[in-house]
Amino acid sequence: MSGEVHVSIVGLPSSGKTTLLAALWHMVREPGSSTALSFDGLSNGNYEHLNQLAKRWRSGKIQQRTQVSGARNVTMRLKDASGRQVEVSFPDLPGEEFARMWERRELDKSMVGTLAAPAIVLLINGDTIRMPAWVVERMALAKKLGVVPAAIEAAEWSADLAPTQVKVVDLLQMLMSGDLNIGSRRLSLLISAWDKVEGEQLTPAGLLESKLPLLDQYLRSGRDPWTWHVWGLSAQGGVYEDPEKEESFDETERLRELERPSDRIKVVDGDAVTTDITKPLEWLIG
Amino acid sequence: MATQPLTCSNPDCSLASDGKCVEGFEVEECPHAGRISIDDVPATEEPETQVALPEPTIALSLGEPLDRDEASTLQRRRVSRSIGLIGPNDSGKTSLVAGVYDLLQEGPVSGASFAGSSTLIGFEKVCHLARAVSRRTVPHTERTSRGADATFFHLDVHQSENGLTSLFIGDRSGEDYLAAIDQISQVDQFFEIRRADCITLLVNGEHLADPGLRHEVRAATPQMIDALIEARAIRKGCHLAIVLTKKDSVLASPHAERVQRDFDGIVASINASHAACFGEVKPFVIAASPRDCEQVVRGEGVGDLLLFWLQACPPAPGAREDLRPVFERMIDLLTDVGDGK
Repeated sequence: MSGEVHVSIVGLPSSGKTTLLAALWHMVREPGSSTALSFDGLSNGNYEHLNQLAKRWRSGKIQQRTQVSGARNVTMRLKDASGRQVEVSFPDLPGEEFARMWERRELDKSMVGTLAAPAIVLLINGDTIRMPAWVVERMALAKKLGVVPAAIEAAEWSADLAPTQVKVVDLLQMLMSGDLNIGSRRLSLLISAWDKVEGEQLTPAGLLESKLPLLDQYLRSGRDPWTWHVWGLSAQGGVYEDPEKEESFDETERLRELERPSDRIKVVDGDAVTTDITKPLEWLIG
Repeated sequence: MATQPLTCSNPDCSLASDGKCVEGFEVEECPHAGRISIDDVPATEEPETQVALPEPTIALSLGEPLDRDEASTLQRRRVSRSIGLIGPNDSGKTSLVAGVYDLLQEGPVSGASFAGSSTLIGFEKVCHLARAVSRRTVPHTERTSRGADATFFHLDVHQSENGLTSLFIGDRSGEDYLAAIDQISQVDQFFEIRRADCITLLVNGEHLADPGLRHEVRAATPQMIDALIEARAIRKGCHLAIVLTKKDSVLASPHAERVQRDFDGIVASINASHAACFGEVKPFVIAASPRDCEQVVRGEGVGDLLLFWLQACPPAPGAREDLRPVFERMIDLLTDVGDGK
């Protein structure tokens, strides 16, 4: 039995979409790795992009921002434990496209087919979640601390100032309406940069409820037919270096010292932790 | 130095080929000789440049408050409740809309969970000036523009016992509602009130605490309901929430007890005159967007009001046909043939 599965990886800018692809491509091809989905051979496609991403990932360098113009389609031929073959295609879409959907309320027509995939991976950077905060409580806290807030010019409203959870809810709503509405879909929600938030001792579901409660309510309400599951994901294991800034970190060096690059990966499902980055994908393609 | 070939702008002239002017002039005297004909101007070749055409785009939903038709379309999708917010300007209508949404940002409110919204941009705009990201030191809410048609904020809410309900909260300028007291015909344009399942009348607590404004609030508030009833703009069996807003200002004033008494008086007065016109009349005290939270919690009382909004309002048989308001306009007596009396 074999099949072709289209998966869209969506997320706001800097949510870790390209890093996920890089780590995934490395891991399924890493000699000796044991994963729920494994490499099943190369097709005639061009693997240059994927190989470059994986090379950069292995070397501990941060990924370059995905080009804003157009999506690169990457395809992986994988098989599950029972030998079932699946060809998974992911467009490597820039996060700006998703920010634009929220801010400018428009979408490139060329993305419609891509975003109409029946399986969605949604990445949210756990370390950069912008939570709503209110003037009255901020002022009460300042008063308590005896701090006099500096007089600064008020900021005009703009869509990009919205809390992360509002942008993400709207993105998911858009995927369930108009030209993008294909009915029920599966959604793997990955909270990335998990190494930065795991100190809070929360499960991924707990973090979703406490840091992204609007999104949590939206998904749990079942108004839109998402079949969803949430994971924590650290696809790097720690901080990577930016070669353009000539950065050098001890932490990155420690990651490089690990025997297998895939040991850097951490996938958290409830209280269970694994390095198998294909688990969310296996769940997604059923 | 090369000499220029002879040319003539007259197309019938063969000066260029035989050197003779067709009009018989000496070449030096001919007014056309030497001029360049339009045919002599070589056509310029357009440089072939590759102009990148913008990607065709599709427009997504704007996320702004809905007009009446958009709201009607959405209302047909699932069980819905339409809320008509009325009150003078600055009574806190927009703050209440923002307050409900902002409470849901932090989790379910009184057992009601956020399930979706087609007006997220609209909500975000009205919340902005109370959010820390605005960099203000005092929360604020923009006024709704006077004279504009009412629009609707949309919230889908999930309750474990009732499932999904769509809320449509009408938003119109307070000045427009006040104008209805002076000219009842204004009520005709209040389509958001006619379709409301729950009318929510806001009483400005800050004004009620102000000795200079107190009596005006006490007088004008019931008059707004009088105008709606007299104009027969209220749907049969609809609920009425009478809401004292800005609880923080009330508690901070030296007249807190008097404000409560005045508010109770307003509720009693409306009940005495119009209870029979409504399914249920219930008072609330809220602090949707307080200026400080020393004595109140942000959003205090809003959860109870939200639950009231979500209540079904079964048609009250004969609630309105049989019970006339305690006054009649003469013009109605002359023209009204609606119920055959």
